[in-house]
Amino acid sequence: MKLYQIVVRGVVQRKRRVLYAAFGVVIGTMTVVGTLTIALAGEAKIYDQLEEYGPNLTVIPAISKLDMKLGSLSLGTVAVGENYIPEGRLPQIRQITDDAIRKGEGIQYEGNIATLAPKLYMDTVVKDTSVMVVGVDPEEERNVRTWWMLREGEYLAGANHALVGAVAAELLKLNVGDKIVLNGSEATVTGVLDETGASDDYQIFVPLKTAQKASGKEGLISSVDIRACCKLSPVETIADEINQNIPGIKAVTVKQIAATEMGMLDKLNKFMLALASITLAVGLFGVVNTMLASVHERVKDIGIMRAVGASRNQIIKLFIYEAVIIGTIGGFFGYLAGTMLAYAIGPLVFEGVVMAYVPQYLPLALAMATCMAVVAAVYPAFNATKIRVADSFRAL
Amino acid sequence: MLEIKNVSKFFGEGMTRVVALQDVSLQVRKGDFVAIMGPSGSGKSTFLNIVGGLDCISSGEVVLEGKRIDNLDENDLVDIRRWKIAYVFQQYHLLPSLTALENVLLPLTFRGTKSAGDKALEILGKVGLEKRARHKPSQLSCGEQQRVAIARALIGSPSLILADEPTGSMDRKTGKEILDLFEQLNKEGHTIIMVTHDNETASRAKQVVMLQDGQIVDKIDNEKKEGKSQSTE
Repeated sequence: MKLYQIVVRGVVQRKRRVLYAAFGVVIGTMTVVGTLTIALAGEAKIYDQLEEYGPNLTVIPAISKLDMKLGSLSLGTVAVGENYIPEGRLPQIRQITDDAIRKGEGIQYEGNIATLAPKLYMDTVVKDTSVMVVGVDPEEERNVRTWWMLREGEYLAGANHALVGAVAAELLKLNVGDKIVLNGSEATVTGVLDETGASDDYQIFVPLKTAQKASGKEGLISSVDIRACCKLSPVETIADEINQNIPGIKAVTVKQIAATEMGMLDKLNKFMLALASITLAVGLFGVVNTMLASVHERVKDIGIMRAVGASRNQIIKLFIYEAVIIGTIGGFFGYLAGTMLAYAIGPLVFEGVVMAYVPQYLPLALAMATCMAVVAAVYPAFNATKIRVADSFRAL
Repeated sequence: MLEIKNVSKFFGEGMTRVVALQDVSLQVRKGDFVAIMGPSGSGKSTFLNIVGGLDCISSGEVVLEGKRIDNLDENDLVDIRRWKIAYVFQQYHLLPSLTALENVLLPLTFRGTKSAGDKALEILGKVGLEKRARHKPSQLSCGEQQRVAIARALIGSPSLILADEPTGSMDRKTGKEILDLFEQLNKEGHTIIMVTHDNETASRAKQVVMLQDGQIVDKIDNEKKEGKSQSTE
């Protein structure tokens, strides 16, 4: 017979007490697993939005600020400076981008791979209202803004066509067929976009050349959105190479832009984890109390074992083994309960989030719960070793 | 094999001090069967606990097989309990979660001995419980539980068996069977010290030591069958 067999027999004998101790571990583990699962789902949602956003990189003048929004995520303020990128840089940017993708993904194709959508921002007045007009390359822009849906009319097809964001159309009372004047040049509204929830809703889109002409910025652009072809494209490498090789411009990955948002999420996660840790600590005290009660209940058993030759270390081992069993049970059920908690609460924390159980958290939960139970068992175990055999029998 | 030299044991201090044993001296030879008799509170169980290293003494010396055990540290006392001394308690003190066989194996488990199941079954057979090996204490009668406790005491082949009122909670017939077993073990060479307050039980021992108020007041040698008391004080 081995020591652990004595423990297993004891655990079977005192099922209720053991389950009661495991309950404390379940609560602690549940909150941690629940928090982590929700946080992971929230993070995944943000990355999905980044993916949906289209561009992986934005190239801007080295000294400039741009309005950046990712769906419902605010990524910074709008402040278009007087700095522009010469349009002539576009082929160089494309070359660097496509080469990096070819190298990174092992692609042999010689044609264009990435989508480069240049933009020129123009703050102008339409119907006595200040509005942001964006000059775009219609074809490339559509490849980047895959979520654009037309509410009415057609997409940009001619030089004097204008596409109006949903909110702008409403505020300016613009419909398909209406004429607008952009710094003296006339354009016809050919389409109105569906609401996207992004800054697009407040903007008017015209072909790049039209905007350049209207603003007198021929050959200049404010920024370039780059959508690398694939999910695993080396966007950081592309940004680095653009920054190193082309002076006067700055390539920023969307991940970098989203860092602020992720930073907020990180802070929220830390706060939630801190709360979970408190629950964990409360659970720990629960286990300590249960174990102390267990020591008290088992004074006689401990006395018997000491009388027949158990050393203090062996008594401690018995308690630690029991803690491992409690931790394993508590960790397993804590994982299940935490996952269920995440499924119940996650959608309330991050609207529309798709919850998914995380199998990798099971070993984490087991390890954490076992450590928690073992830590909780140490003090009661040492208390148990202080029991003097003669006293344990006298107390009966 | 066992020498108790002027052992005293006090509980509490000052005004609350209680004398459990006062200047007790006794020699037990290998193969002896000694019964410690006395009324409740005379110090019998304290005497047994001290001999077994379960309790410390206030003064004096306890020498087992030529080695002082009263001043040993905890680790050495664990060795004594593992290898030299075994206990049989009035309340059997079996672990309720273990079967009879597992209870018997317990001392060897703490020694770290592996696969001793056959030996445990053999000893259970010796105390007439081979067929009850897989039963838990709650499924055994008082007599059977005490037999398991005796088997547990025997499995480690100890030099000395200490029994604290081993028949105290049994009916007469079962008690007699247990005493028969002790007598047989003694005949096989085991040294036994048994605490009892029952004359009939004590009469089965080779020597009877009478304790009163923590002092030895009489020693009777049953082997000589003289029935003659010798005053020691």
